[in-house]
Amino acid sequence: MYKETTSSKIVKWSLIGISIAFVVLMLLLPLITVIAEAFKQGFDIYAKAVSDNYTTKAIWLTLEATLLAVIINTVFGLSAAWSLTKFQFKGKKILTTLIDLPVTVSPIIAGLIFLLTFGRQSPIYPLLQDWDIKIVFAVPGIVLATIFVTFPFISRELIPVLEARGNDEEEAAALMGAKGWTIFRKITFPHIKWAFLYGVVLCAARAMGEFGAVSVISGHLRGKTNTLPLHVEILFNEFQYVPAFAVSSILVMLAIVILIARSVIEYRGRKKI
Amino acid sequence: MYVELKNINKHFGNFKASDNVSFGIEKGKLIGLLGPSGSGKTTILRMIAGLENPDSGEIIIDGKVINNVPASKRGIGFVFQSYALFRYMTVFENIAFGLRVLKKSENEIKERVAELVKLIGLEGLENRYPSQLSGGQRQRVAFARALAPNPQLLLLDEPFAAIDAKVRQELRHWLKEMIAKLGVTSIFVTHDQDEAIEVADEIIITNKGRIDQIGKPLDVYSKPKTAFVASFFGQPSIFKDYNKFHSFDTIPNVDQAIVRPEFVKVTKKNEVQKFKNSAEEGVVTDVAFRGSGIEITVLVNGETLTARRSFDEPSISVGEKVDVFIYRLFVTVGNYAFLLENKSIREPIVVI
Ligand SMILES: Nc1ncnc2c1ncn2[C@@H]1O[C@H](COP(=O)(O)OP(=O)(O)O)[C@@H](O)[C@H]1O
Ligand SMILES: [Mg+2]
Repeated sequence: MYKETTSSKIVKWSLIGISIAFVVLMLLLPLITVIAEAFKQGFDIYAKAVSDNYTTKAIWLTLEATLLAVIINTVFGLSAAWSLTKFQFKGKKILTTLIDLPVTVSPIIAGLIFLLTFGRQSPIYPLLQDWDIKIVFAVPGIVLATIFVTFPFISRELIPVLEARGNDEEEAAALMGAKGWTIFRKITFPHIKWAFLYGVVLCAARAMGEFGAVSVISGHLRGKTNTLPLHVEILFNEFQYVPAFAVSSILVMLAIVILIARSVIEYRGRKKI
Repeated sequence: MYVELKNINKHFGNFKASDNVSFGIEKGKLIGLLGPSGSGKTTILRMIAGLENPDSGEIIIDGKVINNVPASKRGIGFVFQSYALFRYMTVFENIAFGLRVLKKSENEIKERVAELVKLIGLEGLENRYPSQLSGGQRQRVAFARALAPNPQLLLLDEPFAAIDAKVRQELRHWLKEMIAKLGVTSIFVTHDQDEAIEVADEIIITNKGRIDQIGKPLDVYSKPKTAFVASFFGQPSIFKDYNKFHSFDTIPNVDQAIVRPEFVKVTKKNEVQKFKNSAEEGVVTDVAFRGSGIEITVLVNGETLTARRSFDEPSISVGEKVDVFIYRLFVTVGNYAFLLENKSIREPIVVI
């Protein structure tokens, strides 16, 4: 260790000060404002706003879309990560690049893609109508858009972990006669477990907060296709500030839960190595 | 022959990793697959295990062609170079893995694992994870895990490469003993000539994907058939024009002469030496102490040679003029190697 000089101390503390001030100003203050505004007119008003019919519907829809996005992206993420790291095949590079597409494309564009693919202008629209399938301005559209924007989160956590280690534990197990599923369950999964859970958490966080893509495809039908972020926007636009902040506070609390889950996973994951 | 490879070829892209590899192994033998890094040893092992498929040729075990038998059904024990222990399982679970796959009863598993843990001398460490073991202990666990389902053939890829020198020495003897005790046919890969010579019953030498020579350790060491094998062992000094040294037959088209330290006798000017008359004068350029003796580097007739002397011989210093006598040397013609003896050994000694 080197001895701290006065000037290095000044640098140290001003850097720390700037960071703290920034976190307080940019993160903590807004969060506190949200909670404060939500409870401004007392708990009863808050409770009423939160238990409002449209709000509960929005909560359920958000949870539904999040759950489905997590499940489907788990299946996709595991297969994509597995095939990209364990097999050699043509088009591997393209697939790797495509996985990242949702991160680089603006969510609004993502929403528009679905609108154009399944909406009235689309050539497959008559087909969907014949089968009585509603996607645009309906729950399936919301779910699809959510899946799209959260699509890379799980696979991107898994790929580096799987890449960092060879195949030899799997090969050793296979040589002893273990079947594919046993190998995955007993050898591969314990290794990727923490990265996987971390991916799930990121995916869930993003799914809950998604606004842009969902906004385009939802049609803002209150009580039908409104997710929490969309509901907040509507309330806000109608100058219903207390309910808007009250609903926001739910999202804030969900975010805090996820943050805690994330820290726990990171901590346990690090300890395991 | 218990294991037989017939004309095996294997490419990775354009690279030929196995070039018409053929050999046979008798039951119960411990075979060393020896060659420099990249010479295709691991590839051969992986093809026998079924982790790679040969492009052509036959792999026969116990009289059956097994090319189309999947790795999981070949019943071969494999010790990976990296050990590939299951890092999220304890020592016990690692060793038990193969038995669980075979759906053995819990009692049988406990018994067999206990037996193996005792065999590898790790009693009391059953509940440790691989990360809590030393390199040598991991190696033993990998060995026990491979042996647990009673394989008829055991393959070991550079089993000692990742272990420090002192422990390596112990483990070599331990492994040789274990395998002899169990009588399981084994092939181990190594790039270390001493290791192969010490441990193996028979050595197979690989070079650029080909098999250069097969034989008992002493035979491959002292009777190399190819230029590569001749230069691979020992600490050879290699030069072109061996006729600078007299009393050797002249052979046409010689590419190189290879002289090993034990082929060279270095004596002080005042020492008695049987072949003093045909010795040549050299200058000592280096004297180094080795565990086994003293290694002397001399410059003679413009070539640098290495020789050994024992500790109890009179000491020699750098810059000293000495007599150098070469008993024999290998000469290579194309891919072949021949041994040439110094003719003065056979001549009657004339004392003037
Ligand atoms: N899966 C593979 N893909 C491409 N090349 C390989 C593969 N496995 C081995 N090789 C090449 O084959 C050659 C022989 O490899 P290997 O059998 O591992 O040699 P050794 O074990 O003797 O060091 C090396 O040059 C290596 O690069
Ligand atoms: Mg190798």
